[in-house]
Amino acid sequence: MKPVAGLALLAVLAACGSEKSGPNPMVSAIGAMAKDSVAKVKARKAGGKSGGKSVSVEERRAALEKAGKPILRVSSTTLGQTGFLTVLDAKGDVLTWKTPDGATFSQRSGVLIQTRGLGADLMSAEAPSVGQLMRAGTSYQRIYYFLGDDDQGTRRTYDCTSAIIGKESIEVLGRTHHATHVSETCERPLGKLTNDYWIEGTSIRQSRQWVSGAIGYIEFQRVID
Amino acid sequence: MQLSPFHVLSSLVLGTALCSSPALAEMTGTLNLNGATGLIDMPSGDAQEDATFSFSIGNIGPITRTTLSFQASERLSASFRFQTWRDWDSVIPGDAKETDRSIDLRYQILKEGRIAPAVTIGLIDLTSRGMFASEYIAATKTFGDRLKVTAGLGWGRLGSYQGIGAPFGSRPPVDPTGTPNADQWFRGEAAPFAGVEYRINDNWTLKGEYSSDAYLLEDGERGMIERDSPFNFGIEYQRGPAVRLGVYSLYGSEVGLAFHIILDPKSRATGGVVGAAPVPVKARPARAADPEAYDGGWVTQADAGPILRENLAKRLAADGISIENLAYTATTVQVRIRNGRIDAGSQAIGRTARALSHVMPASVEVFEIVPVVNGIGASKVTIRRSDLEALEYSADNATLLRERITVTDAGAAPAFSLGDEDLYPKFRWSLKPAVRLAEPAKGDIGLRLSGSYDFAPGLVLSGSIYKPIASNRDSASTSTSTLPHVRTDSGRYNEFGDPALEKLTLAWYAHPAENIYSRVTFGYLERMHAGVSGEVLWKPVNSQLALGVELNYTKQRDTDGGLGFDEYDYDVVTGYVSAYYDFGNGYLGQLDVGRYLAGDVGATVSLDRVFANGWRVGAFATVTDVSATEFGEGGFDKGIRFTIPFNWALGTDTRRGFGMTLRPKSGDGGARVDVDDRLYESLREYHTDGLDPDWGRVWR
Repeated sequence: MKPVAGLALLAVLAACGSEKSGPNPMVSAIGAMAKDSVAKVKARKAGGKSGGKSVSVEERRAALEKAGKPILRVSSTTLGQTGFLTVLDAKGDVLTWKTPDGATFSQRSGVLIQTRGLGADLMSAEAPSVGQLMRAGTSYQRIYYFLGDDDQGTRRTYDCTSAIIGKESIEVLGRTHHATHVSETCERPLGKLTNDYWIEGTSIRQSRQWVSGAIGYIEFQRVID
Repeated sequence: MQLSPFHVLSSLVLGTALCSSPALAEMTGTLNLNGATGLIDMPSGDAQEDATFSFSIGNIGPITRTTLSFQASERLSASFRFQTWRDWDSVIPGDAKETDRSIDLRYQILKEGRIAPAVTIGLIDLTSRGMFASEYIAATKTFGDRLKVTAGLGWGRLGSYQGIGAPFGSRPPVDPTGTPNADQWFRGEAAPFAGVEYRINDNWTLKGEYSSDAYLLEDGERGMIERDSPFNFGIEYQRGPAVRLGVYSLYGSEVGLAFHIILDPKSRATGGVVGAAPVPVKARPARAADPEAYDGGWVTQADAGPILRENLAKRLAADGISIENLAYTATTVQVRIRNGRIDAGSQAIGRTARALSHVMPASVEVFEIVPVVNGIGASKVTIRRSDLEALEYSADNATLLRERITVTDAGAAPAFSLGDEDLYPKFRWSLKPAVRLAEPAKGDIGLRLSGSYDFAPGLVLSGSIYKPIASNRDSASTSTSTLPHVRTDSGRYNEFGDPALEKLTLAWYAHPAENIYSRVTFGYLERMHAGVSGEVLWKPVNSQLALGVELNYTKQRDTDGGLGFDEYDYDVVTGYVSAYYDFGNGYLGQLDVGRYLAGDVGATVSLDRVFANGWRVGAFATVTDVSATEFGEGGFDKGIRFTIPFNWALGTDTRRGFGMTLRPKSGDGGARVDVDDRLYESLREYHTDGLDPDWGRVWR
């Protein structure tokens, strides 16, 4: 038999057996890639707006409020992607938010400390409290912990200070909030990053926070408390 | 939300990781037509980034060079090359095609500094017939961030054009083949070579060189190419970090093409560990607030055990983990798990601990997790539940948790434990397409029917039948080996074994005493040999050193893949004393001393570089009392091996991978019977040297 014919035969032969072992990794990876490209095209057609079509902001808010659950809106400007997340876990001042496809973001009073399921995850972090952020001008250390080369633990240590930019009105899904814009600047010999927070009272209403080298920045909005 | 943005996001991250171009400021070495760091056909003083694994195809008119290279450390690199000359009979009648396999070693003796150039010494084709043999010293200096200039001096082939004399005496002919040709190295005429490399931008590079290889074999002797000029020019295109292409004008007469796949085993192609987030740890109520929750009275309830086990099994099934055994008291639980899917021991332990926090009553403070491999408890990881609760969201939680857990010998399963009636006895089978490669892109594809029957923990009957469907192997040549044909009749086994019973064995694995593990395998062990194989391993969980002994009695099987032993009247007792040592940073060494399949006595040294993500690249060499001439062209048994995990490349949850062992020439000396599941490798993942490198994944 010609090798080509053999390959074709192999391609149509799905593995079978007594165990419901995971699908063929090659097949499922190709499937996932195809799904993602379809999703990307859809996202582009939707003009980067979640849901797209004719759902108005007010309708969307009403739908979310009806569920009666806290909602965090997560978006990445570079990707034009947005998701509405619900709480998976609440422990003390840490809330863990879950995306429908199984990724999570953990925040301590709104400051990002962990992600899971993004690939280049933030495994843990030594991060400032809201009180620390509000104390403009004092410097502190911030440490990000990742899985780096060969899945080994690695860290990035920054020296940070925060500055109060001023009072701003921000719109979060059709609602206007009056918040204090605080900008956190962090530096290390190899680079610099800036996190921005809009703090309403003592809680973070909106923020733009750095996640990891590969993900970059992600924006968070607390839509429903 | 209609689509799942974070799926898209992670796939885009993957895309960026694969496609982002290297920073312009860093100018690492590029590969040449021979798959080695260099210019076009000439080598350079550069090295690749540590751990770079590359696969190259270089075409020079009628010559094709397929090369696997590995940067074994920052300075040391090695290559394994298949070379094919077509039009071999254009002048001298005979075979139309000639093939050769060669091994190179290169060592960078000087790294590039502000003034000093990078300097590398290399041995090309250091052990075979010498058709591609040369040695060189080359220096490369970078000017600015775009220009590199290389100059070097070569011997052997690289000293064959416009030589400047023989500084270290004349070059003797290769004899015998297959052993390191040390008496040739740097002998004979030396000739200078040089070249430049100019990077136009991240994607395009221009190269030009003056070659000191006269192509005496190809031009003078065989007349397959015409070498009209020593100058070569070309342009290379880099697409992402992984793919590089080159087109060249070679020797004034030929067109050269190069294609490289460049992989970094240390960085996942997916940009990180993928897969869904874990379930959060379940916090217990504070003892002061709810003291009743901490009451241990539940242990007396008759149905507590089955309910707990069922709940735990449900949670663990999501991660492909099954429960071998569950035992508990009011304060401690021991769960023995079988990890079927997660590629890191630490992550399997973390997921199990999280599941226990949801299932076990609050009075249970100590989690003992025992990963089970082939029915044997590999180790026991003891985690305090309060540490798990306290550290979940702490900074640097991986390091902190590691300090508070213990990894100890698994011991025996507790006397009063709940086994899983679904696991023993258990029959499994599968029918899957399979590939058997003899070398890259050469071998056969077919179907494999496998089955196994677990009688009890550690006692398993298993077998497989392989039916080739299509093959592009070269037709089997008759072995001329003067030793018993314990390996060199493999061509006959391939040809006549259609279908073939690959193996049918009854294996018994046990952990009879602390730090001691044992294995006995009986039956058709592999496609060429059948018999009985026994092994005892001493390996404390926290030790870098392990010692083992193995004893086998085998008879050679018929080539038709059936049950008979009529074709060969050959049986042999083989055995080894082995030492395994983990040097740290992923370097594993192994020394085996003993008697091999052809009755020869000797030793095998192997060194592997193992990555926590499952990549593995290694080399081995066996020297026995078989003389180089008796062994045949290969001189002695040696080769390289590698494993690429699917999980690294695709991110899917699987423990499977793609692996190969490549030898320049295989002979009958230094051969070992091929038995499944030797003890050291099966257990190492769950001992501290296997768990610690990627311990951070305990929280993944």
